Amino acid sequence: MTQNGQNGNKPTIMIVDDEEMVITSVKAFLQLETDYEIRGFTDPEEAATFAQSNSVDVAVSDYLMPKMNGIQLLAKVKQAQPEASRVLLTGHADKQSAIQAINQVALFQYLEKPWDNAQLLLVVQSGAERARLFRDLKEKVEALDTANSSLKTVQRRLIQAFL
Amino acid sequence: MSVPTAEVHQFAAIGRLLAGIVHEINTPIGSIFSNTDVILRSLEMLDPLLAENTPESLAKARRIVETCHGLAAVDRIACERIRSVIRGLKTISRVDTGEPRKVNLNEHLRDTLKLTQAEFRKRITVDTDFGDLPEVECYPQMLNQVFLNLLVNAGQAIEGEGRIAVRTRAEDPYVHISISDSGRGMTPEQKAKVFEAGFTTKPVGEGTGMGLAIAREIIEEKHGGSIDFESSPGVGTTFHIRIPVRQTRSVGK
Repeated sequence: MTQNGQNGNKPTIMIVDDEEMVITSVKAFLQLETDYEIRGFTDPEEAATFAQSNSVDVAVSDYLMPKMNGIQLLAKVKQAQPEASRVLLTGHADKQSAIQAINQVALFQYLEKPWDNAQLLLVVQSGAERARLFRDLKEKVEALDTANSSLKTVQRRLIQAFL
Repeated sequence: MSVPTAEVHQFAAIGRLLAGIVHEINTPIGSIFSNTDVILRSLEMLDPLLAENTPESLAKARRIVETCHGLAAVDRIACERIRSVIRGLKTISRVDTGEPRKVNLNEHLRDTLKLTQAEFRKRITVDTDFGDLPEVECYPQMLNQVFLNLLVNAGQAIEGEGRIAVRTRAEDPYVHISISDSGRGMTPEQKAKVFEAGFTTKPVGEGTGMGLAIAREIIEEKHGGSIDFESSPGVGTTFHIRIPVRQTRSVGK
């Protein structure tokens, strides 16, 4: 699996949880296991602002947070970074409301606390790979669109030349 | 009404809090699991780095040791969090023996608040204003149950975000405890029925309608104290409890 995201940069993983300890633990683990860029946020609003102006490959968010819940945050991430893989990492008590909202943001994965590191790693790696494939696909579709429109121009000119 | 009924109600109140407590404990446990993983893996990496003994390998080893220090500190905070939740549970699950005991009610309120915090943490801000209290001769577990009930009620009265204020004062010969919420408040009809057994505004399964009836029995019959409240719709509710510092009468009969 290649670990390069868009523009040949390292994939960027965003971890959002109002509990500092979760960010510290997940960050230490992912830094040990991957060469990804890991960004942690305890404030979902700051995380949303970051996603507006920075490329994000995987967004991992808690559900219950002050100001904004995880679904609201992931919806904002989806808007700003449609290719990013969205992951909810949440406590058991939030499950009911979280599941109801899952369809709203087309969640990539749902993880429960206490989380399993091996599973988290797998989800983050496959999420990053998925985001890369989406971006590649988007680029190819765009290239096809460009080729298609130049073909049409040529075709129009040809038709004009013969008429 | 007898004490076993009160105990059954206490279990119901704890049941409602359990979901919150599970969540409160799962976060630190997740952290500890993850950190232990990382620390073990890091230790495995240390040996070869030290054996290599180059400036680069030693610098890397130092970084690994620093990371492990940081994670161990997080583990400590995580264990602290779990311990404080368990301490609250222990306080609430103890059973009163026959004789009243002398206790500091501020400590008991703090322990009870630890339990409700699991449920309130992200939604409700709890302000505490504890005055210096003399030791009160009482049945502490029964009082904890009353506090728990009033706090759970206060939390349920608040839709969305809000505040709960807990205040204690010595007002010789009583100790005065007040619990206020910024919740929806009560209508005059609701106010008239508050202490009636079986009266509840909550959906089936959420309230038994016994909480305040039992609270009144515990405060007035068991302790010779008083419980009353003020409430206005849209503003909130404040409960006042006054417990005599000494039990001069024959209590518990």
